[in-house]
Amino acid sequence: MQDAQAVAAGISGADIAEAAKYIAAGLCMGIGAIGSAIGEGIAAAHALDGMARQPEMQGALLRTMVLGQAITETTGIYSLLIAIVLLFVI
Amino acid sequence: MFEQLAGLLTHLGEKQIAVVSVGGFEIRFDIMALAMSWVVIFLLILLALVLRRGLRKPVEEKPTRTQAALDSLVGLLRGQLSDNFASERLATMMFPFISTLFLYVLFSNWLGVVPYMMSPTQDLNVTFGLALLVFFVSHVLAIRLNGPRRYFKGFLEPYAFMLPINLVGEIAKPLSHAFRLFGNILAGTILITVIMVKFAPVIVPPFLQIFFGLFFGGIQAFVFAILAVAYINVAVEG
Repeated sequence: MQDAQAVAAGISGADIAEAAKYIAAGLCMGIGAIGSAIGEGIAAAHALDGMARQPEMQGALLRTMVLGQAITETTGIYSLLIAIVLLFVI
Repeated sequence: MFEQLAGLLTHLGEKQIAVVSVGGFEIRFDIMALAMSWVVIFLLILLALVLRRGLRKPVEEKPTRTQAALDSLVGLLRGQLSDNFASERLATMMFPFISTLFLYVLFSNWLGVVPYMMSPTQDLNVTFGLALLVFFVSHVLAIRLNGPRRYFKGFLEPYAFMLPINLVGEIAKPLSHAFRLFGNILAGTILITVIMVKFAPVIVPPFLQIFFGLFFGGIQAFVFAILAVAYINVAVEG
């Protein structure tokens, strides 16, 4: 009990804010990456289906897949930017 | 050596800013991004001048090696990027712009692999400038090709009360275009620097550079160019 109090006395509000910053950045990146990862996986899976069915369409499918994945990735990039802002700017 | 590497990490977010005041206004320049942009521009011009020597002016029976290589390269760029335009006329007209954009972004991304150099595209101002360029090109082209009447009518479709949503959609395009390139390149740089400083200063970084620098840089340059194609296409045809 006494130890806990001693430790608590040494922790200031700034320390808590610092810790919260890192936790928030980790959570932001971890949760934010889920959606774009699932979306890109779905896009790749269906493009692969199409390629297996029609190998001669491979070039066009690949191009469209990369474009779709790049757009899907945007939400992940936004969460990355917020994580960077949390870590380096705030 | 380790002190130098640690310096890389602590100076990651810092910028050297030159402030020029012109008539009461402060204009700020990021020296590093500016210098690296000029390096890319000079590299591209130098490459063009050197490769031009391999070309023979009249088209002869047997092309030189350089000519054959350049032919297939230009054909590749044309086929992969510019042929995604809806009309043949637009594809021919925009091919120099789109391929220049692609080459500039590609070389910018790859410059980050060279020691003591930095990708200009890891600076938000550079990518935002490129995205704004695409934005203005697409809208000016839409007005010139379709006429102002049809252009402004496009904002009222499908219904007039959709105007705010259409406007927000137009503004969001260059924003996401710029942030995508910037975020990807900056994330690669931060990842490589952190792993290099904190975990493995030898052997591992070159492989990371190949993956994040060369491979992702190429993919992102392609995506940037093909999104520019899509935006111009939508503005003109949609």
